Amino acid sequence: MVVMRVSAAHAAVWFYAAFLTATAGGAAPSVHLPDTHRSVLATHCLKCHGAEDAEGNVRLDDLPYEITSVETAERWQKVLNVLNSGAMPPEDEPPLPAAAKADFVDDLAQTMVAARRSLADQRGTITMRRLNRREYRNTLRELLGAEINVAELPADTGNGSFDTVGSNLFMSSNQFEQYQALGREAIEEALARHSARSVVQRHRYEAEQAVRKLVKVINEEIEQRDRARRWVAAVDAAAARPENATVVAEIRKQAKNDAEFRRSWERISGAPSPVEYGFGEPFIAVVGNAVDKANASLNPYFLPYHEDALTPPGIDTGAYLANQTVHPAILDNGYVSTVVPHHWQPGDFIVRFRVAGNEQATPERRFIEFGIHPRFGQVLSTHEVTGTLERPQVIEVPITLTRKHTDTGDRTLFIREKNSIDSNELASRRYNESKKKNGIGPEYTIWVDWLEIERMPAKETAPPGVAILDGMLDDKKVPSRSQIEATIEAFSQSAFRGTLPPPSFVGKLMAVYDHRLAAGDKHSAALKETLSVVLAAPMFLYLAEPAVDGQPRPLTQHELASRLSYFLWGAPPDQELRNLAASGKLTEPAVLAAQAERLLDDPRSKGFLEPFVYQWLGLHRLDFFEVNRTKFPEFDNSTRLAAKHEIYETVGHLLRTNGSLRDLLAADYVVVNNVLARHYGLDGVAGDHFRPVPLPADSPRGGFLGMTAFHLMGGNGDETSPVERGAWVLRKMLDDPPPPAPANVPAIARLAGKAVTPAERLRMHQEEPQCASCHRRIDPIGLGLENFDAIGRWRTTDSYKAEGSKDLKTWTIEPAGALFGGPAFADFHELRAVIAERPDAFVRGFSRALVEYALGRPCGFSDEPLLDAMVAQGKTKNFPVRELIQALVASDPFHTK
Amino acid sequence: MSHLPNRRLVLSSAAGVVALPFLPSLGFRRFAAAATAAAAPPAKRLVFLGFGWGVTDDFWYPDLKTPGPDYALPPGLAPLARHKSDFTIVQGLWNKYSNEGHWGSTMWLTGANRYAQPGQNFHNSVSADQIAASQLGLHTRFASLQFNYSEKEGDSGHGPGLSMAWDVRGKPVGGQNGPLAAYHRLFSADNTPIEKQRALLAEKRSVLDAVLDNAQYLQKGLSTSDQRKLDEYFEGIRDIETRLAKDEQWIGVPQPQATLAEPKQPVSGRDEIGLMYDIIVAALQTDSTRVITYRQPVASLLTSLDIKVNPHDMSHYHGSKNEKLDASQRRDLAQSELFAGFLDRIKAASEPEGTTLFDHTTVVFGSNIRTGHELTNCPTVIAGRGAGVKLGHNLVVPKNTPLCNAWLTLLKGSGVDVDRHGDSTGTISDLVS
Repeated sequence: MVVMRVSAAHAAVWFYAAFLTATAGGAAPSVHLPDTHRSVLATHCLKCHGAEDAEGNVRLDDLPYEITSVETAERWQKVLNVLNSGAMPPEDEPPLPAAAKADFVDDLAQTMVAARRSLADQRGTITMRRLNRREYRNTLRELLGAEINVAELPADTGNGSFDTVGSNLFMSSNQFEQYQALGREAIEEALARHSARSVVQRHRYEAEQAVRKLVKVINEEIEQRDRARRWVAAVDAAAARPENATVVAEIRKQAKNDAEFRRSWERISGAPSPVEYGFGEPFIAVVGNAVDKANASLNPYFLPYHEDALTPPGIDTGAYLANQTVHPAILDNGYVSTVVPHHWQPGDFIVRFRVAGNEQATPERRFIEFGIHPRFGQVLSTHEVTGTLERPQVIEVPITLTRKHTDTGDRTLFIREKNSIDSNELASRRYNESKKKNGIGPEYTIWVDWLEIERMPAKETAPPGVAILDGMLDDKKVPSRSQIEATIEAFSQSAFRGTLPPPSFVGKLMAVYDHRLAAGDKHSAALKETLSVVLAAPMFLYLAEPAVDGQPRPLTQHELASRLSYFLWGAPPDQELRNLAASGKLTEPAVLAAQAERLLDDPRSKGFLEPFVYQWLGLHRLDFFEVNRTKFPEFDNSTRLAAKHEIYETVGHLLRTNGSLRDLLAADYVVVNNVLARHYGLDGVAGDHFRPVPLPADSPRGGFLGMTAFHLMGGNGDETSPVERGAWVLRKMLDDPPPPAPANVPAIARLAGKAVTPAERLRMHQEEPQCASCHRRIDPIGLGLENFDAIGRWRTTDSYKAEGSKDLKTWTIEPAGALFGGPAFADFHELRAVIAERPDAFVRGFSRALVEYALGRPCGFSDEPLLDAMVAQGKTKNFPVRELIQALVASDPFHTK
Repeated sequence: MSHLPNRRLVLSSAAGVVALPFLPSLGFRRFAAAATAAAAPPAKRLVFLGFGWGVTDDFWYPDLKTPGPDYALPPGLAPLARHKSDFTIVQGLWNKYSNEGHWGSTMWLTGANRYAQPGQNFHNSVSADQIAASQLGLHTRFASLQFNYSEKEGDSGHGPGLSMAWDVRGKPVGGQNGPLAAYHRLFSADNTPIEKQRALLAEKRSVLDAVLDNAQYLQKGLSTSDQRKLDEYFEGIRDIETRLAKDEQWIGVPQPQATLAEPKQPVSGRDEIGLMYDIIVAALQTDSTRVITYRQPVASLLTSLDIKVNPHDMSHYHGSKNEKLDASQRRDLAQSELFAGFLDRIKAASEPEGTTLFDHTTVVFGSNIRTGHELTNCPTVIAGRGAGVKLGHNLVVPKNTPLCNAWLTLLKGSGVDVDRHGDSTGTISDLVS
């Protein structure tokens, strides 16, 4: 295979790294800068940077155009840097012509990207890797059935490659200690869960209990108002006395109103202090504040709203969800909550709530959120309330509680209305807007009968690591020494994915056990501590595949089992895989393919779907920004959560149904839940689950480019960023990644504070040739997507107001453009069609990501034949997603150490 | 104890180049004696304070055209006016290999080339503080301390790493996140009886024995590159071993009296930095360590200043200015005010013979990022008399002088025996008085 770059002037859009000559035989690929640029260098650079007395000791005349070493790459990188920063040519020399400079910088930047890939090519060598953070968690779950919070371990992401790439997975002494601590915790957690496995536990909170608290607050508000009225009467009586007439007139002159007048009560002879009327204690220490408190109590702001909660039907048997009013420590009416009893052991539970919407519950006021820890917790799920007061509905949510859920807050389950209190500021705005309209506050719409939690029965078979410990931890009946040794050995073997530990290791662990006993531990504590060492040992932490240097070999059956299960589950092989490996059948193509199907069908394949999609598409950007809720009040936490899940659910749908990857470029359906359907303006989507929903023919939705999550990432939660969007499309959809943003590019300062449209701003970018080199490819795509605002809603105009300026500038969005060197498009629909016509490029990018993720090494030039084969095999069937996965699983590299 | 020589053997054969420290159990007891004896002359100290996302260009840097002592303090440094003669701002420094505009700390003290190793897209080398720690840290309870911000998910522009410190193999060194962890690391007494402490040490060593045995077994048959990977594990164990040896020296030596109260409330942002500065001063005063790095929070600093701009966006204030520029400038001011307070404190902390901590300490306040994606003229403020630095200057060095030249100058000035560091080409003679 030969891929050659045509000269820049005639360049079509090209879809994967240019400047590369590679042969199918895997001979070393070479990267070279097109010779067409020699004249630019000769004309503008060599006078000073030639062979004779090179300025700054930088010689460019002998710089090879073929880049085969880091040293050459670095010299070229310096050239690129000074061109980007504008440092060269110096001011007193003629500048490079703009067009030539743009082409040169473009080609050079692309060459550097290619060179980096070439020089980083591991030629198929996979560096041994340790379990990354999520694999460590999943492996402990499979071994012990314990759910462990691994947040303290390094995330293993964020270095620009997948978290499976062994050469980037480090180890430090701190980490070793964290592994042992987490292992210890996992064993305790597993035993606690196991001890509670047959316990029956159910706890129900009847929501009418909250009504009692509300009545108490209402009574206090009324009583306080009465006290305030009495104080006012007393002050007024004193003020009416003739001897006070002068001073009263004086105060009246200064005070704007009665409340302010009373602030000067001290000057009125005979007027009592508000403290005497109970406005001093316990919170009010300063008398001035006491006056304010008394004044405020005259007109209790929330009283009508609080009283209103007692009028609708059903409050004798339940309560209504309210807009949070006073401090939740006084009245937590914003949610209905209950605390899981503290003595309950960890385990899996079902939470149920019985709810109904009344006739005020308009469609957008029918959603509730469930979560743990009402004050600080995240929303865990969103639910649409379809039940009525006559026929309430029961909603069920599964949850897991661990030993870490010890604080009351972490054991408090809650439900609240969606978008009712994403922040205090938003909650009070919502309240005030309603109060302005009806004089009371937001309508009560959702009635809660009760909230309950029940332990789910444990699986019939104990997790392997727990089963081994059965009967071995009894301090009253300490097992024999040989039994303890056997236990340690069996536990290690199970932890080491079936590999037997060496006897010397078991011996050393017995020494640990003895030291613990000597230090005063009981048998059970000593044994648990000893087993925690197993969970920090290299044979547990590393996926080792012995090999001789430079001699690739086929994987063993067991190694293949691990590679497959960590690829498709992010977890260790189960018994079936291990059995097949033990019987030598796993390498049979039909058996392996069937196993891959089985793993993909298993719920554990979520351990592939989410981390792969997250890293492939760079979803970390989704959590970068706060959405401007003044501008987008409807974009609440639930919608945000749903937007993120749409991506997982869409790819997950393809994975389940073996759908075509082309659906991610354009599709006539979306995979949404009821929350997101509302955001997209799709009617008739009932139910909280995600499912495919057909789209009208003219819909801009369908595929990545229609997704809110995509547009959210391509902006900052306030304004859109056409550059981010365009670059993302080039990177993820067209497999034509632009070079990384160069360092040290001067900013266009003259734009500061000016109201310019994105199109104008980007045109200015392109005035500088070194900026134009990338932006001419990025910007047309980004501008073609401007019909989507920062939260992915469709729009036809945009506006901007510069800081300190009164003028709002509004303009019509003009999406028309053309890909650089490629076809023109008139609007978003045409742009999407242009992109959707290039599935090969997209699938190639997907395959590259898949190879890197699955094999745990950079996907280099030497992998091009593999990518060719994957794309070709997929193409015959219109790119079904499992076909690509199967092609990789069946390929030689997947079977090779 | 009897396992020890064996383990040394294991380690040296496993990792080849790994040099083990002399351990007390092998008859080397000098450190133990040093632990109890008071250190003779006041020791040299080094403190690196890193602030992630850089500063505001026009607001923070003095005019390049007025080098020397007679320069006007720009508004961003105005809070440091009372210390003007006691710090030097160095302009023109950079790490030439840095190409990642979001990494303010990862290579700040190392100057490493991220792509130096073929086949890896991340490589780092030893940081200046760890070079210092290897020589200045022999006689203190902690060879060095690494402090971090406490925020969990914040975006403070520091880049990858567990702290600013990277060990001799270029691997990240962990540290304490937030003031409470830092405080306990320094002052929490171990009330365990000495015999029990020894038993615990023996138990910990038995754990190391077990996992080393396992590593050795695993190592058999691995390819060279995989062995190199496993060496990280051996290195981690070696670090613990070294720490245990040091712990052994310090058994029975009481923790220093805390010079400040235990932090009760969780604090963040501005208050967190202030409190961490107190703890750093306390660590130096009690001679618990002589080398400290601190990755300061930026995200939570903004929150505490009631700034709602995303920290990353803030550093891109050039385009739209407005609230991003405002945030950036207020961040500068807050950081300068806090740093001024830190200098107050080390100037007030008295040392023997009428001197103060300031006389024996070098404090660096800066970042690898200037602003936005800019990585040239990295913000660098140096204070303290510990390394013989010429103070009170706006020192403009030739453009693109390696930051590592500055680190080398400070290391040498602090009595560290070192010839070069990172990509250094020499020391900066103008920096020395």
